[in-house]
Amino acid sequence: MRLNSLDDFERHVASLTAEQDASACTLVIPAGTCGRASGADELISVVRRTVDSKGLADRVHVRITGCHGFCEMEPSILVMPSDVFYPKLRAEDGARIVEAAARGETVTDLLWIDSIDGSPIPRQRDIPFFKTQQRTILARNERVVPGDISSYLADGGYGPLVKALRRNTPTWALEEVKASGLRGRGGAGFPTGMKWEMLAKQPTGHGKYMVCNADEGDPGAYMDRSVLEGNPHSVIEGMLIGAYATGATDGIIYIRAEYPLAIDHLLTALEQARALGLLGAHILGTDFSFDIEVVEGAGAFVCGEETALIRSIEGKMGEPKQRPPFPIQQGINGKPTSINNVETWANIPVIIGEGADRYARVGTERNAGTKIFSLVGKIKHTGLVEAPMGMTIKQIVYDIGGGAVGKGKIKAVQTGGPSGGCIPAKLFDLAIDYDSLAQVGAIMGSGGMIVMDEGTCMVDIAKYFVGFLKGESCGKCFTCRKGTQRMYELLDDITNGRGTPAHLELLEELARVIKDTTMCGLGQTAANPVLSTLRYFRHEYERHVLDNRCDAFVCAHLTGASCQTACPVDTPPWRYVALIEQGELEAAYNVIREANPLPGVSARVCDRECERHCKLGATGGEPIAIRTLKRFVTDRVAPQAFTPRRITRLDTAPAGETPPSVAIVGTGPAGLAAAHYLSLCGRKVTLIEAEAEPGGMLMTAIPPYRLPRDVARAEVKALLDENITLRCGVKLGRDITIDDLFEEGHGAVFLALGAHKSWPLGVEGETLDGVYSSIEFLRAFNLHGEQWGRGRVGIIGGGNSAVDAARVALRQETVDSVMLLYRRTCDEMPAYAEEVDAAIEEGIRLETLVSPVRIRYIEAAMKEGVQVETFVSPVKIESEDGHLAGIECVRNNLGDVDASGRRKPVPIPGSEFHIALDTLIVAIGERPDSDCLESMGLSIEKDGRLEVNPKTFATSRKGVFAGGDLTTGPNTVVGALAAGKQAAISIDRYLQGLPMETAAAVNLPDTYLAPPTLTDADEEVTRITPPTLPAEERKTSFAEVESSPAPEDALREARRCMRCDLQFTCALAETAEATGAEQ
Amino acid sequence: MIHLTINGLAVSVEEGATVLEAARFYGMPIPTLCHMDGLSPYGACRLCVVEIGEGPRAKMVTSCTYPAEEGLTVRTASDRVIRARKMILELLLASCPQSRTIQDLAAAHDVRQQRFRQEHDDCILCGLCVRMCEEQMMAKAIGFRHRGEKRDIGTPFDKHSEECRLCGGCMYVCPACQLRCTYTDTENAVCGGCANLAPPCVDKDPFDDMMCSMAPCVACEIKTD
Repeated sequence: MRLNSLDDFERHVASLTAEQDASACTLVIPAGTCGRASGADELISVVRRTVDSKGLADRVHVRITGCHGFCEMEPSILVMPSDVFYPKLRAEDGARIVEAAARGETVTDLLWIDSIDGSPIPRQRDIPFFKTQQRTILARNERVVPGDISSYLADGGYGPLVKALRRNTPTWALEEVKASGLRGRGGAGFPTGMKWEMLAKQPTGHGKYMVCNADEGDPGAYMDRSVLEGNPHSVIEGMLIGAYATGATDGIIYIRAEYPLAIDHLLTALEQARALGLLGAHILGTDFSFDIEVVEGAGAFVCGEETALIRSIEGKMGEPKQRPPFPIQQGINGKPTSINNVETWANIPVIIGEGADRYARVGTERNAGTKIFSLVGKIKHTGLVEAPMGMTIKQIVYDIGGGAVGKGKIKAVQTGGPSGGCIPAKLFDLAIDYDSLAQVGAIMGSGGMIVMDEGTCMVDIAKYFVGFLKGESCGKCFTCRKGTQRMYELLDDITNGRGTPAHLELLEELARVIKDTTMCGLGQTAANPVLSTLRYFRHEYERHVLDNRCDAFVCAHLTGASCQTACPVDTPPWRYVALIEQGELEAAYNVIREANPLPGVSARVCDRECERHCKLGATGGEPIAIRTLKRFVTDRVAPQAFTPRRITRLDTAPAGETPPSVAIVGTGPAGLAAAHYLSLCGRKVTLIEAEAEPGGMLMTAIPPYRLPRDVARAEVKALLDENITLRCGVKLGRDITIDDLFEEGHGAVFLALGAHKSWPLGVEGETLDGVYSSIEFLRAFNLHGEQWGRGRVGIIGGGNSAVDAARVALRQETVDSVMLLYRRTCDEMPAYAEEVDAAIEEGIRLETLVSPVRIRYIEAAMKEGVQVETFVSPVKIESEDGHLAGIECVRNNLGDVDASGRRKPVPIPGSEFHIALDTLIVAIGERPDSDCLESMGLSIEKDGRLEVNPKTFATSRKGVFAGGDLTTGPNTVVGALAAGKQAAISIDRYLQGLPMETAAAVNLPDTYLAPPTLTDADEEVTRITPPTLPAEERKTSFAEVESSPAPEDALREARRCMRCDLQFTCALAETAEATGAEQ
Repeated sequence: MIHLTINGLAVSVEEGATVLEAARFYGMPIPTLCHMDGLSPYGACRLCVVEIGEGPRAKMVTSCTYPAEEGLTVRTASDRVIRARKMILELLLASCPQSRTIQDLAAAHDVRQQRFRQEHDDCILCGLCVRMCEEQMMAKAIGFRHRGEKRDIGTPFDKHSEECRLCGGCMYVCPACQLRCTYTDTENAVCGGCANLAPPCVDKDPFDDMMCSMAPCVACEIKTD
């Protein structure tokens, strides 16, 4: 049927609309390329079969459409008109949904689950991902069946074209587009109306071209594909209006050949439009003629650049041409040519349809309308996001995208594809539009938005993009071809540990020249990834070239085995795990003990950075249970198996004189480690401890059910050799000063006082009877066995010491109940870092729909009977006769994201409530008790910390060093051990008169250990969990909760290791073998 | 006539002239590698960049392709231009150290070292030979192939081309001092003219006209393997 006049058209549309029943229940199934890849076809056949077999065809309609944007959740079903959304379905779920829909019901267990409170959200528009979007273009994909022009017509399609044609003057449409303020969505943001006006002004007579650029080539960007697949007519209509407005005679859609479905849908759409008389000669019976041809690209990224695109259409080699002349003057075959992007075209019918004024009201002043972004990377929800211009990055990343995956911290967003730039998290308040992005060194590009977290190395990212551009540069102009090659070469050097500061200088110089002197957009923006990362993440580059470290654990030669590099004391877990597998437990113990003076303690309380960075965990599996394996070794090998290597070295001290000795204040892990390693260097050490026995926080803070006292005592005692003198009960500031220590003849002083002072709540009544700080509470119990808990105990805080205090209180006989109060949600409790690291285990498996975040440590406490109240803050402590009576709390809501990347708790006015308590423990943080140092010539930070050189641990006072919690604030045991170990080295160098700073380098694995021969059975093995006491038994005893794993379990676990070391040691083994054979 | 300002000097040139032509006519030198009178402008070597416009709208363009416009201000030797030109020369030296033309240009711009990994390419892909072959010799025997770092110049499928008349025009225009065909493989050689030339400098024979002011002489570092 051909429509021969504008009136014909309107009659036809009216008849189509009359056929439609808007109230009929319709199941909309997106089946673009993304949907099909995730199994939409099977779902569709199940749905269709169910509808047919149950005879529901008149009650339940099925509509197969293009992608709706939430590709990650496909295959999905959207029920219209009720707007119920079912994400991530299995094919068999289709039948249940059909039957429920026929009854007008919803299938509750298949709905979207809210990530905060775990309740189901039925309607699509209430799901956070969709809630704040403004889906002008994408929502049409839900209503239109791509292969059926009638559905587009019924949705108002081609109405705007007719509206423009009725005006009988092309100028009207042109003026509308100009007034709308639409800017080209292809990347540079050139005002579309202005471009059209320029085309309209070109001389007519020889023909003019109007081109749709659908050569979408940015990695990770697919918005054009989804528009072409889901709603090809909107692009065709846009081009028709454009042609009418500018007098263009020929239309071309240049589409990349890698989009077969889009090409298919487009060709069908063109055919249907021609058949209806909407395309071709005398459109709808008017004098306006225009036809569109589809040209498939030949697979070059640069053909997205307009001059290269033109040459490609002409059948020549796809490479740019120096402008001027501009395509608008001399384009395809020398004729005036205007090129616009797919999304720009899809916006035209919207502008004409709703009017320029209304359109211009969306977005910001100079940037009207909405923009589709493809949100991908390290973010909870990925997909196509359509947002009004001027929305902030924060809103897109956190509100729509749902923030970081698991416990990751988002550090940057890369916009605009390979030639875009990286925007750091500190600029996330930036309102996105063409101008603001350009100002921060990025570009809008086609709208790609790649989110990066701490596991992303910015140098590596720059290298990736430059590598892409190096391969895609056409090679015509010298600075782009050679410049990208040379940039890649420099970046490759940096990521492989061959970088120098000169590399950075040259890289920056080169990048600026490339930006300045290349021929086309590809080259001019090729330097952006380098320049923007250098601008915002220079420290990462410097870490690579100066310290030889890649903090994201990405660059292999700067990481080595990530478990070892992650360990603050440089323990090589890969090595002892391999030795366990080979049955060499004693050798394994020696490897552990060599690096760590307190192996048994660490095997119980280490926070395991190693597991967090285990490559098995980072690549989708569960990390190796390294700490459990360490426990397995330390429980089975006696400390005597290890003989420390004592350094016999010619000292600078003259013969006969003893080398200068060292005084160490504090005998926690930092002090002990420093004493041990200084003693191994042959130095005399005096250890000074304020309490009655050494151990510091190990003894005062960590409860015995986590670290049995005999284990800690034995290991501490083993370190105290003949070089070390211990003086207990001596407190710095009270009994002794730093000057006294120097007067005693010590050559250097190492301060390792720890953080033994609690932060106060800052609420009235903290001095009441029954209110304690967690430090006091734990010390009283751990050191003196005093049980301070009475009746109902409340604990405020969410850190380790809060949970420790809760669990200790629970075990005390005089306690009835324990309640933990925390101001944010459970999954934001910092305590979790200490116990089993759910971040990796859960974080990786924590799919977008799984809301309950399980945290083992807090869970362990909850199992034992600790009640947990989240989202509350205390406002007042209530008293009765000078005794604590209870507290008043206020409930919180989560507000904006703060500097720590977490959402800020915001009190809800009027939600105050009362909790009756007999004991209150405040555990909101600790600080060093360092006030006495002020008078000893050292300056103290506001939070009590002492500033030191992070590499040498030297303080501002000569000969005085400091480490551990005193310098970092509350930190881990292994962190303190590392500080002590490193400080020992620099103190020793200082006393020899050598420069203290030593070159930092990553220790790459250097010992070849043959890998085990794995069988199929090894594939099935999952991570072991150490045996624990049943919760009932735990409640009443202080016996250790965790115990050693069984040998067969440990062996199985050790066999799971991916053995990252082999990457470095295989070559060594081969060389050794070769030389062995020669001999 | 078109009136424009070059380096502060008000000049006028005929319509259709490029900025390069205008500057050279008035005695202001602009270095080029891919430009040759009689061949169409190509804009590939980027050495002829000049700065046009004022203030924040100032931009760099290739003078060999940019038409002289009424009222245009051009700076042929501003800091920005010199910085870019030096970097381009450094990149050229890093790729084609044995080219006398490049050495001379580098020396003239006070570029005495290059900081990249030394390569020994025999082509800078300036395209002079391709244009010579096509536009002056009307042969189209050689052309560009591949893209990006793989881009090179040669005959179709590396086979001897029937179109080639062995004129040697491609060799004559080459600024990289190398030949457009592999003279060691006489079967597939484009013209064979090189058979009469001695290979440059391989044995560190005296080769006076290839020496440059750089130490050590990069011309002698040609790969011998």
